[in-house]
Amino acid sequence: MAPRIINLVCERSCDLTDHVDENGKLKDVDGAYVVKYPCSGMIQPLQIEAALKAGAQGVIVTGCQLGDCYYREGNKMIRERILGDRPPGLKKAVDRRRVIGLWLSRIQPERFIGEVKEFSSFISNLPSEPAAAAGAAKAER
Amino acid sequence: MALQPLYTDALTKATLVCEDWLNKICTSKYNPFYYHGALPQFFLWVLFLSGLLLFAYYVPTIDNAYASEHLINAYTSVKYITETIPFGYLIRGIHRYAGDAMVITIFLHALRVWFTDRYRQYRIVQWLSGIVLLALVFIIGQTGYYLVWDTRSLILTRMTVAAFGALGPIGDPLQWWFLNGRTITNLTLANFLFIHIGLSFSLLFGLWIHYVRMQRPIVTPPPVVNYVLFALVTLSVFLFPIDMPTMAQLAEQPTQFNIDWFFLWPYWLMSVFPPLVFWAIVAILTFLACYLPYMVKTPPILSAEVVDNKCTGCRLCSLDCPYAAIEMVPAPAGSRFKLLATVMPYRCSGCGVCVGACAFDAIDLPDLLDSDVTAKIKALAAQA
Repeated sequence: MAPRIINLVCERSCDLTDHVDENGKLKDVDGAYVVKYPCSGMIQPLQIEAALKAGAQGVIVTGCQLGDCYYREGNKMIRERILGDRPPGLKKAVDRRRVIGLWLSRIQPERFIGEVKEFSSFISNLPSEPAAAAGAAKAER
Repeated sequence: MALQPLYTDALTKATLVCEDWLNKICTSKYNPFYYHGALPQFFLWVLFLSGLLLFAYYVPTIDNAYASEHLINAYTSVKYITETIPFGYLIRGIHRYAGDAMVITIFLHALRVWFTDRYRQYRIVQWLSGIVLLALVFIIGQTGYYLVWDTRSLILTRMTVAAFGALGPIGDPLQWWFLNGRTITNLTLANFLFIHIGLSFSLLFGLWIHYVRMQRPIVTPPPVVNYVLFALVTLSVFLFPIDMPTMAQLAEQPTQFNIDWFFLWPYWLMSVFPPLVFWAIVAILTFLACYLPYMVKTPPILSAEVVDNKCTGCRLCSLDCPYAAIEMVPAPAGSRFKLLATVMPYRCSGCGVCVGACAFDAIDLPDLLDSDVTAKIKALAAQA
Protein backbone atom coordinates (compact mmCIF):
# COMPACT_ATOMS: atom_id res chain seq x y z
CA MET A 1 0.00 0.00 0.00
CA ALA A 2 1.22 3.50 -0.80
CA PRO A 3 2.58 5.32 2.27
CA ARG A 4 0.45 8.12 3.68
CA ILE A 5 2.13 11.46 3.13
CA ILE A 6 0.84 14.74 4.52
CA ASN A 7 1.83 17.83 2.52
CA LEU A 8 1.76 21.11 4.41
CA VAL A 9 1.74 23.60 1.54
CA CYS A 10 1.91 27.38 1.36
CA GLU A 11 -0.79 28.50 -1.06
CA ARG A 12 1.55 31.14 -2.53
CA SER A 13 4.13 28.53 -3.46
CA CYS A 14 3.49 25.93 -6.19
CA ASP A 15 0.00 26.26 -7.62
CA LEU A 16 -1.85 23.00 -6.86
CA THR A 17 -5.37 24.16 -7.79
CA ASP A 18 -5.68 21.57 -10.57
CA HIS A 19 -3.95 18.79 -8.68
CA VAL A 20 -5.91 18.54 -5.42
CA ASP A 21 -9.51 17.31 -4.99
CA GLU A 22 -12.00 18.72 -2.49
CA ASN A 23 -10.88 16.29 0.24
CA GLY A 24 -7.30 17.48 -0.02
CA LYS A 25 -6.14 14.36 -1.89
CA LEU A 26 -3.30 14.87 -4.32
CA LYS A 27 -4.69 13.36 -7.56
CA ASP A 28 -1.34 12.34 -9.05
CA VAL A 29 0.16 10.46 -6.08
CA ASP A 30 -1.55 7.69 -4.08
CA GLY A 31 -1.71 8.28 -0.35
CA ALA A 32 -0.62 11.94 -0.54
CA TYR A 33 -2.83 14.63 1.00
CA VAL A 34 -2.48 18.39 0.95
CA VAL A 35 -3.22 20.89 3.73
CA LYS A 36 -2.96 24.50 2.61
CA TYR A 37 -1.65 27.42 4.63
CA PRO A 38 -1.58 31.14 3.75
CA CYS A 39 2.20 31.01 4.34
CA SER A 40 4.59 28.19 5.20
CA GLY A 41 5.64 30.28 8.21
CA MET A 42 2.29 29.43 9.82
CA ILE A 43 3.16 25.72 10.01
CA GLN A 44 3.80 24.69 13.61
CA PRO A 45 6.44 22.02 14.24
CA LEU A 46 3.82 20.51 16.58
CA GLN A 47 1.60 19.91 13.55
CA ILE A 48 4.38 17.96 11.83
CA GLU A 49 4.71 15.82 14.95
CA ALA A 50 0.92 15.46 15.16
CA ALA A 51 0.76 14.17 11.57
CA LEU A 52 3.45 11.54 12.18
CA LYS A 53 1.88 10.52 15.47
CA ALA A 54 -1.58 10.18 13.93
CA GLY A 55 -0.28 7.69 11.39
CA ALA A 56 1.31 9.56 8.51
CA GLN A 57 4.49 7.93 7.22
CA GLY A 58 5.98 11.15 5.97
CA VAL A 59 5.49 14.94 6.01
CA ILE A 60 6.47 17.37 3.28
CA VAL A 61 6.64 21.07 4.06
CA THR A 62 6.39 23.27 0.96
CA GLY A 63 7.07 27.00 0.91
CA CYS A 64 8.06 29.63 -1.62
CA GLN A 65 11.55 29.65 -3.18
CA LEU A 66 14.10 30.48 -0.49
CA GLY A 67 14.77 34.20 -0.72
CA ASP A 68 11.36 34.91 -2.18
CA CYS A 69 8.67 34.43 0.48
CA TYR A 70 5.54 36.37 -0.45
CA TYR A 71 5.26 37.37 3.21
CA ARG A 72 8.99 38.07 3.36
CA GLU A 73 10.27 35.50 5.87
CA GLY A 74 7.81 32.63 6.36
CA ASN A 75 9.80 29.99 4.47
CA LYS A 76 13.00 30.99 6.27
CA MET A 77 11.21 30.67 9.64
CA ILE A 78 9.76 27.19 9.08
CA ARG A 79 13.03 25.97 7.55
CA GLU A 80 14.93 27.09 10.65
CA ARG A 81 12.27 25.58 12.90
CA ILE A 82 12.55 22.20 11.19
CA LEU A 83 16.32 22.35 11.46
CA GLY A 84 16.00 23.27 15.14
CA ASP A 85 17.69 26.66 14.74
CA ARG A 86 14.68 28.75 15.73
CA PRO A 87 12.22 28.23 18.58
CA PRO A 88 9.80 26.53 18.67
CA GLY A 89 11.77 23.83 16.84
CA LEU A 90 10.88 20.36 15.67
CA LYS A 91 11.53 17.85 18.47
CA LYS A 92 14.83 16.00 18.16
CA ALA A 93 13.00 12.70 18.61
CA VAL A 94 11.17 13.10 15.30
CA ASP A 95 12.46 10.75 12.60
CA ARG A 96 14.23 13.16 10.26
CA ARG A 97 14.04 10.76 7.34
CA ARG A 98 10.29 11.29 7.26
CA VAL A 99 10.24 15.09 7.09
CA ILE A 100 11.43 17.08 4.08
CA GLY A 101 11.13 20.69 2.95
CA LEU A 102 10.50 21.82 -0.63
CA TRP A 103 10.94 25.43 -1.72
CA LEU A 104 9.06 25.99 -4.96
CA SER A 105 7.56 28.92 -6.81
CA ARG A 106 4.00 29.04 -8.19
CA ILE A 107 5.05 27.80 -11.60
CA GLN A 108 6.53 24.53 -10.33
CA PRO A 109 3.63 22.13 -9.54
CA GLU A 110 5.18 19.43 -11.79
CA ARG A 111 8.40 19.58 -9.83
CA PHE A 112 6.32 19.27 -6.64
CA ILE A 113 4.55 16.13 -7.85
CA GLY A 114 7.83 14.60 -8.96
CA GLU A 115 9.36 15.22 -5.55
CA VAL A 116 6.31 13.80 -3.73
CA LYS A 117 6.52 10.62 -5.84
CA GLU A 118 10.21 10.25 -5.11
CA PHE A 119 9.68 10.85 -1.38
CA SER A 120 6.81 8.35 -1.39
CA SER A 121 8.96 5.60 -2.87
CA PHE A 122 11.80 6.51 -0.48
CA ILE A 123 9.40 6.20 2.47
CA SER A 124 8.03 2.85 1.32
CA ASN A 125 11.59 1.49 1.23
CA LEU A 126 12.31 2.56 4.81
CA PRO A 127 12.38 -0.29 7.36
CA SER A 128 8.73 -0.83 8.20
CA GLU A 129 7.22 1.15 11.03
CA PRO A 130 8.57 1.75 14.43
CA ALA A 131 10.71 4.75 13.45
CA ALA A 132 7.83 7.26 13.28
CA ALA A 133 5.85 5.73 16.10
CA ALA A 134 8.93 5.34 18.25
CA GLY A 135 9.86 8.94 17.56
CA ALA A 136 6.42 10.14 18.54
CA ALA A 137 6.43 7.97 21.65
CA LYS A 138 9.79 9.32 22.69
CA ALA A 139 8.52 12.84 22.16
CA GLU A 140 5.69 12.17 24.55
CA ARG A 141 7.90 11.32 27.45
CA MET B 1 -7.96 33.99 1.40
CA ALA B 2 -8.16 36.11 -1.76
CA LEU B 3 -5.31 35.66 -4.15
CA GLN B 4 -4.29 38.45 -6.43
CA PRO B 5 -6.58 39.63 -9.25
CA LEU B 6 -6.29 38.11 -12.68
CA TYR B 7 -4.36 40.79 -14.54
CA THR B 8 -1.45 40.64 -12.12
CA ASP B 9 -1.61 36.86 -12.10
CA ALA B 10 -0.13 36.66 -15.61
CA LEU B 11 2.50 39.27 -14.66
CA THR B 12 3.40 37.31 -11.53
CA LYS B 13 3.88 34.14 -13.53
CA ALA B 14 5.99 35.94 -16.15
CA THR B 15 8.20 37.35 -13.36
CA LEU B 16 8.56 33.93 -11.78
CA VAL B 17 9.50 32.33 -15.11
CA CYS B 18 12.31 34.90 -15.53
CA GLU B 19 13.49 34.31 -11.99
CA ASP B 20 13.33 30.55 -12.32
CA TRP B 21 15.57 30.87 -15.36
CA LEU B 22 17.95 33.14 -13.45
CA ASN B 23 17.94 30.73 -10.49
CA LYS B 24 19.30 28.04 -12.80
CA ILE B 25 22.23 30.29 -13.70
CA CYS B 26 23.14 31.86 -10.37
CA THR B 27 21.17 29.85 -7.73
CA SER B 28 18.54 31.37 -5.47
CA LYS B 29 21.19 32.53 -3.02
CA TYR B 30 22.71 34.97 -5.53
CA ASN B 31 19.66 35.77 -7.65
CA PRO B 32 19.72 39.60 -7.84
CA PHE B 33 15.90 39.65 -8.10
CA TYR B 34 15.74 38.33 -4.55
CA TYR B 35 17.60 41.44 -3.40
CA HIS B 36 15.78 43.89 -5.65
CA GLY B 37 15.18 46.34 -2.82
CA ALA B 38 18.78 46.21 -1.65
CA LEU B 39 20.25 46.98 -5.10
CA PRO B 40 19.34 50.71 -5.18
CA GLN B 41 20.49 50.90 -1.57
CA PHE B 42 23.90 49.54 -2.64
CA PHE B 43 24.15 52.14 -5.41
CA LEU B 44 23.22 54.82 -2.86
CA TRP B 45 26.39 53.98 -0.89
CA VAL B 46 28.45 54.02 -4.11
CA LEU B 47 26.99 57.45 -4.91
CA PHE B 48 27.65 58.81 -1.42
CA LEU B 49 31.26 57.68 -1.52
CA SER B 50 32.07 58.78 -5.08
CA GLY B 51 30.15 62.02 -4.46
CA LEU B 52 32.28 62.70 -1.40
CA LEU B 53 35.42 62.37 -3.50
CA LEU B 54 34.05 64.70 -6.19
CA PHE B 55 32.94 67.19 -3.55
CA ALA B 56 36.54 67.53 -2.38
CA TYR B 57 37.56 69.16 -5.70
CA TYR B 58 34.33 70.75 -6.88
CA VAL B 59 34.06 74.57 -6.93
CA PRO B 60 30.44 75.78 -6.96
CA THR B 61 30.87 79.11 -8.76
CA ILE B 62 30.39 80.37 -12.30
CA ASP B 63 33.15 82.98 -12.50
CA ASN B 64 36.59 83.70 -11.22
CA ALA B 65 35.70 83.98 -7.59
CA TYR B 66 39.24 83.32 -6.44
CA ALA B 67 40.89 85.93 -8.66
CA SER B 68 43.29 83.40 -9.98
CA GLU B 69 45.19 83.76 -13.21
CA HIS B 70 43.10 81.01 -14.71
CA LEU B 71 39.37 80.76 -14.60
CA ILE B 72 38.30 78.60 -11.68
CA ASN B 73 34.64 77.73 -11.68
CA ALA B 74 32.30 74.77 -11.58
CA TYR B 75 33.06 73.78 -15.16
CA THR B 76 36.84 74.02 -14.91
CA SER B 77 36.82 72.16 -11.59
CA VAL B 78 34.84 69.32 -13.18
CA LYS B 79 37.29 69.42 -16.10
CA TYR B 80 40.16 69.29 -13.61
CA ILE B 81 38.60 66.29 -11.89
CA THR B 82 38.04 64.57 -15.23
CA GLU B 83 41.31 65.32 -16.98
CA THR B 84 43.99 66.03 -14.40
CA ILE B 85 43.33 64.15 -11.17
CA PRO B 86 44.48 60.52 -11.47
CA PHE B 87 41.39 58.31 -11.82
CA GLY B 88 39.23 61.41 -11.49
CA TYR B 89 37.38 60.51 -14.70
CA LEU B 90 36.71 57.08 -13.21
CA ILE B 91 35.18 58.49 -10.02
CA ARG B 92 33.09 60.96 -11.99
CA GLY B 93 31.99 58.22 -14.37
CA ILE B 94 31.08 55.90 -11.51
CA HIS B 95 29.08 58.71 -9.90
CA ARG B 96 27.21 59.27 -13.16
CA TYR B 97 26.50 55.64 -14.03
CA ALA B 98 25.78 54.51 -10.47
CA GLY B 99 23.00 57.13 -10.55
CA ASP B 100 21.62 55.66 -13.76
CA ALA B 101 21.93 52.16 -12.30
CA MET B 102 20.05 53.31 -9.21
CA VAL B 103 17.13 54.48 -11.35
CA ILE B 104 17.12 51.18 -13.28
CA THR B 105 17.19 49.10 -10.09
CA ILE B 106 14.50 51.25 -8.44
CA PHE B 107 12.27 50.58 -11.44
CA LEU B 108 13.02 46.84 -11.32
CA HIS B 109 12.18 46.92 -7.62
CA ALA B 110 8.92 48.82 -8.16
CA LEU B 111 7.85 46.66 -11.10
CA ARG B 112 8.61 43.46 -9.23
CA VAL B 113 6.61 44.40 -6.14
CA TRP B 114 3.79 45.48 -8.43
CA PHE B 115 3.86 42.36 -10.60
CA THR B 116 4.04 40.01 -7.62
CA ASP B 117 1.27 41.91 -5.78
CA ARG B 118 3.41 43.08 -2.90
CA TYR B 119 2.59 46.78 -2.86
CA ARG B 120 -0.79 47.33 -1.25
CA GLN B 121 -2.79 46.95 1.97
CA TYR B 122 -0.30 46.42 4.82
CA ARG B 123 2.51 47.49 2.47
CA ILE B 124 0.96 50.86 1.60
CA VAL B 125 3.50 52.89 3.60
CA GLN B 126 6.34 51.22 1.70
CA TRP B 127 4.70 51.94 -1.67
CA LEU B 128 3.90 55.61 -0.96
CA SER B 129 7.28 56.35 0.64
CA GLY B 130 8.86 54.63 -2.35
CA ILE B 131 7.16 57.12 -4.69
CA VAL B 132 8.49 60.02 -2.63
CA LEU B 133 11.97 58.46 -2.66
CA LEU B 134 11.85 58.01 -6.45
CA ALA B 135 10.80 61.64 -6.94
CA LEU B 136 13.68 62.73 -4.69
CA VAL B 137 16.11 60.58 -6.67
CA PHE B 138 14.98 62.26 -9.92
CA ILE B 139 15.39 65.75 -8.45
CA ILE B 140 18.80 64.93 -6.97
CA GLY B 141 19.97 63.41 -10.25
CA GLN B 142 18.79 66.40 -12.24
CA THR B 143 20.57 68.88 -9.95
CA GLY B 144 23.69 66.78 -10.51
CA TYR B 145 23.46 67.69 -14.19
CA TYR B 146 23.24 71.43 -13.34
CA LEU B 147 26.45 71.22 -11.34
CA VAL B 148 28.71 70.40 -14.32
CA TRP B 149 27.95 73.88 -15.67
CA ASP B 150 28.31 73.05 -19.34
CA THR B 151 25.86 74.21 -22.01
CA ARG B 152 23.46 71.44 -20.99
CA SER B 153 23.40 72.74 -17.42
CA LEU B 154 22.54 76.20 -18.70
CA ILE B 155 19.65 74.91 -20.83
CA LEU B 156 18.33 72.74 -17.96
CA THR B 157 18.49 75.67 -15.54
CA ARG B 158 16.62 77.98 -17.91
CA MET B 159 14.02 75.31 -18.73
CA THR B 160 13.41 74.73 -15.01
CA VAL B 161 12.99 78.46 -14.41
CA ALA B 162 10.53 78.68 -17.31
CA ALA B 163 8.57 75.67 -16.00
CA PHE B 164 8.34 77.22 -12.51
CA GLY B 165 7.10 80.42 -14.15
CA ALA B 166 3.92 78.65 -15.24
CA LEU B 167 2.94 77.83 -11.66
CA GLY B 168 1.14 81.11 -10.97
CA PRO B 169 1.55 82.61 -7.51
CA ILE B 170 4.03 79.98 -6.28
CA GLY B 171 6.06 80.17 -9.49
CA ASP B 172 7.88 83.39 -8.67
CA PRO B 173 9.10 82.37 -5.19
CA LEU B 174 10.11 78.98 -6.57
CA GLN B 175 12.19 80.68 -9.29
CA TRP B 176 13.82 82.93 -6.71
CA TRP B 177 14.60 80.01 -4.43
CA PHE B 178 15.88 77.87 -7.32
CA LEU B 179 18.29 80.53 -8.63
CA ASN B 180 18.99 81.91 -5.17
CA GLY B 181 18.15 85.36 -6.54
CA ARG B 182 16.69 86.86 -9.68
CA THR B 183 19.46 85.83 -12.06
CA ILE B 184 22.10 83.15 -12.41
CA THR B 185 25.01 84.09 -10.14
CA ASN B 186 27.69 82.36 -8.09
CA LEU B 187 25.03 81.91 -5.43
CA THR B 188 22.96 79.84 -7.87
CA LEU B 189 25.63 77.16 -8.12
CA ALA B 190 26.04 77.12 -4.35
CA ASN B 191 22.29 76.55 -4.10
CA PHE B 192 22.40 73.73 -6.67
CA LEU B 193 25.18 72.07 -4.70
CA PHE B 194 23.14 72.33 -1.53
CA ILE B 195 20.03 70.86 -3.17
CA HIS B 196 22.09 68.02 -4.66
CA ILE B 197 23.84 67.05 -1.42
CA GLY B 198 21.24 68.15 1.12
CA LEU B 199 18.41 66.24 -0.54
CA SER B 200 20.53 63.12 -0.88
CA PHE B 201 20.79 62.99 2.91
CA SER B 202 17.02 63.30 3.14
CA LEU B 203 16.93 59.99 1.24
CA LEU B 204 18.15 58.35 4.44
CA PHE B 205 15.16 59.71 6.33
CA GLY B 206 12.86 58.52 3.53
CA LEU B 207 14.45 55.08 3.68
CA TRP B 208 13.80 54.91 7.41
CA ILE B 209 10.07 55.43 6.71
CA HIS B 210 10.38 52.90 3.88
CA TYR B 211 11.78 50.26 6.26
CA VAL B 212 10.00 51.06 9.51
CA ARG B 213 7.18 48.54 8.98
CA MET B 214 9.53 45.68 8.21
CA GLN B 215 11.46 43.48 10.57
CA ARG B 216 14.98 42.75 9.33
CA PRO B 217 14.76 44.56 5.95
CA ILE B 218 17.23 43.22 3.41
CA VAL B 219 19.44 46.24 2.77
CA THR B 220 22.63 44.56 1.58
CA PRO B 221 22.92 42.19 -1.36
CA PRO B 222 25.48 39.37 -1.03
CA PRO B 223 29.03 40.70 -1.62
CA VAL B 224 29.34 38.80 -4.90
CA VAL B 225 26.30 40.61 -6.31
CA ASN B 226 27.81 43.92 -5.15
CA TYR B 227 31.12 43.17 -6.89
CA VAL B 228 29.41 42.24 -10.15
CA LEU B 229 27.21 45.35 -10.11
CA PHE B 230 30.14 47.59 -9.29
CA ALA B 231 32.17 45.98 -12.07
CA LEU B 232 29.32 46.62 -14.52
CA VAL B 233 29.18 50.30 -13.53
CA THR B 234 32.97 50.60 -13.86
CA LEU B 235 32.87 48.86 -17.21
CA SER B 236 30.25 51.27 -18.54
CA VAL B 237 32.54 54.19 -17.63
CA PHE B 238 35.00 52.86 -20.22
CA LEU B 239 32.39 51.69 -22.73
CA PHE B 240 30.50 54.98 -22.72
CA PRO B 241 33.07 57.64 -21.78
CA ILE B 242 31.61 60.85 -20.35
CA ASP B 243 32.23 63.82 -22.59
CA MET B 244 33.31 67.26 -21.43
CA PRO B 245 31.22 69.57 -23.64
CA THR B 246 31.70 73.32 -23.73
CA MET B 247 31.40 75.65 -20.78
CA ALA B 248 28.12 77.48 -20.19
CA GLN B 249 28.20 81.08 -21.44
CA LEU B 250 25.43 83.21 -19.97
CA ALA B 251 25.35 85.39 -23.09
CA GLU B 252 24.57 82.44 -25.35
CA GLN B 253 21.24 80.78 -26.08
CA PRO B 254 22.05 77.09 -26.61
CA THR B 255 19.08 74.98 -27.69
CA GLN B 256 20.30 71.39 -27.95
CA PHE B 257 21.84 68.88 -25.55
CA ASN B 258 22.41 65.15 -25.17
CA ILE B 259 19.72 63.68 -23.00
CA ASP B 260 20.18 61.15 -20.20
CA TRP B 261 16.85 59.37 -20.38
CA PHE B 262 17.06 58.03 -16.85
CA PHE B 263 17.04 61.44 -15.21
CA LEU B 264 16.27 64.07 -17.81
CA TRP B 265 13.09 62.67 -19.36
CA PRO B 266 11.01 65.48 -17.72
CA TYR B 267 13.01 67.97 -19.79
CA TRP B 268 12.02 66.11 -22.92
CA LEU B 269 8.38 66.54 -21.82
CA MET B 270 9.04 70.24 -21.18
CA SER B 271 10.47 70.63 -24.67
CA VAL B 272 7.43 68.97 -26.27
CA PHE B 273 4.54 70.35 -24.20
CA PRO B 274 3.67 73.80 -22.86
CA PRO B 275 4.65 74.24 -19.18
CA LEU B 276 1.14 73.83 -17.77
CA VAL B 277 0.60 70.60 -19.72
CA PHE B 278 3.98 69.40 -18.44
CA TRP B 279 2.95 69.97 -14.82
CA ALA B 280 -0.40 68.31 -15.52
CA ILE B 281 1.42 65.22 -16.85
CA VAL B 282 3.69 65.13 -13.79
CA ALA B 283 0.68 65.49 -11.48
CA ILE B 284 -1.27 62.74 -13.29
CA LEU B 285 1.69 60.33 -13.24
CA THR B 286 2.19 60.94 -9.52
CA PHE B 287 -1.51 60.50 -8.81
CA LEU B 288 -1.68 57.25 -10.80
CA ALA B 289 1.34 55.85 -8.97
CA CYS B 290 -0.21 56.73 -5.59
CA TYR B 291 -3.65 55.44 -6.60
CA LEU B 292 -2.42 52.12 -8.00
CA PRO B 293 -2.65 50.22 -4.67
CA TYR B 294 -6.27 51.32 -4.22
CA MET B 295 -7.38 50.20 -7.69
CA VAL B 296 -7.38 46.53 -6.70
CA LYS B 297 -10.38 45.63 -4.58
CA THR B 298 -9.90 42.64 -2.32
CA PRO B 299 -11.52 41.81 1.01
CA PRO B 300 -9.79 43.40 3.99
CA ILE B 301 -7.19 41.34 5.79
CA LEU B 302 -8.33 39.69 9.02
CA SER B 303 -5.47 40.37 11.37
CA ALA B 304 -4.12 37.85 13.86
CA GLU B 305 -5.72 37.82 17.29
CA VAL B 306 -4.03 37.12 20.61
CA VAL B 307 -5.78 34.84 23.12
CA ASP B 308 -4.97 36.99 26.14
CA ASN B 309 -5.27 34.33 28.85
CA LYS B 310 -2.99 31.92 26.96
CA CYS B 311 -0.20 34.36 26.05
CA THR B 312 2.89 33.82 28.20
CA GLY B 313 4.70 36.93 26.99
CA CYS B 314 7.57 34.89 25.51
CA ARG B 315 8.05 37.41 22.64
CA LEU B 316 8.60 34.75 19.95
CA CYS B 317 5.71 36.01 17.77
CA SER B 318 6.84 39.61 18.11
CA LEU B 319 10.42 38.69 17.14
CA ASP B 320 9.35 36.60 14.15
CA CYS B 321 6.62 38.86 12.71
CA PRO B 322 8.03 40.02 9.34
CA TYR B 323 6.06 43.30 9.50
CA ALA B 324 6.80 44.37 13.07
CA ALA B 325 3.06 44.18 13.71
CA ILE B 326 3.22 42.64 17.19
CA GLU B 327 4.09 44.80 20.15
CA MET B 328 4.81 43.44 23.62
CA VAL B 329 3.03 45.48 26.27
CA PRO B 330 3.07 45.07 30.07
CA ALA B 331 0.67 42.30 31.05
CA PRO B 332 -2.53 43.40 32.83
CA ALA B 333 -2.59 43.33 36.61
CA GLY B 334 -3.14 39.88 38.03
CA SER B 335 -1.42 38.08 35.14
CA ARG B 336 1.19 35.47 35.93
CA PHE B 337 3.41 36.88 33.21
CA LYS B 338 5.23 40.15 32.63
CA LEU B 339 4.33 40.81 29.01
CA LEU B 340 1.38 40.43 26.67
CA ALA B 341 1.49 40.36 22.87
CA THR B 342 -0.75 42.85 21.04
CA VAL B 343 -1.34 43.03 17.30
CA MET B 344 -1.33 46.30 15.35
CA PRO B 345 -4.06 45.37 12.85
CA TYR B 346 -3.06 47.96 10.20
CA ARG B 347 0.38 46.36 9.96
CA CYS B 348 -0.77 42.73 9.98
CA SER B 349 -0.57 40.79 6.71
CA GLY B 350 -2.51 37.78 7.98
CA CYS B 351 0.36 35.48 7.03
CA GLY B 352 0.31 33.47 10.25
CA VAL B 353 4.05 33.45 10.94
CA CYS B 354 3.13 34.37 14.53
CA VAL B 355 0.91 31.27 14.73
CA GLY B 356 3.88 29.15 13.67
CA ALA B 357 6.01 30.88 16.30
CA CYS B 358 3.58 30.29 19.17
CA ALA B 359 4.01 27.05 21.10
CA PHE B 360 1.16 27.96 23.45
CA ASP B 361 -1.71 28.21 20.97
CA ALA B 362 -2.13 31.82 22.08
CA ILE B 363 -2.38 33.59 18.70
CA ASP B 364 -4.68 32.76 15.82
CA LEU B 365 -5.85 33.88 12.40
CA PRO B 366 -9.61 34.43 12.78
CA ASP B 367 -10.38 32.74 9.44
CA LEU B 368 -8.04 29.75 9.91
CA LEU B 369 -7.73 28.48 13.48
CA ASP B 370 -4.60 26.41 14.03
CA SER B 371 -6.62 23.95 16.11
CA ASP B 372 -8.81 23.31 13.03
CA VAL B 373 -5.73 22.85 10.85
CA THR B 374 -4.21 20.40 13.34
CA ALA B 375 -7.50 18.48 13.52
CA LYS B 376 -7.59 18.29 9.71
CA ILE B 377 -4.00 17.05 9.59
CA LYS B 378 -4.74 14.37 12.18
CA ALA B 379 -7.88 13.27 10.34
CA LEU B 380 -6.03 12.99 7.01
CA ALA B 381 -3.10 11.17 8.62
CA ALA B 382 -5.33 8.73 10.49
CA GLN B 383 -7.70 7.54 7.74
CA ALA B 384 -6.33 4.30 6.44
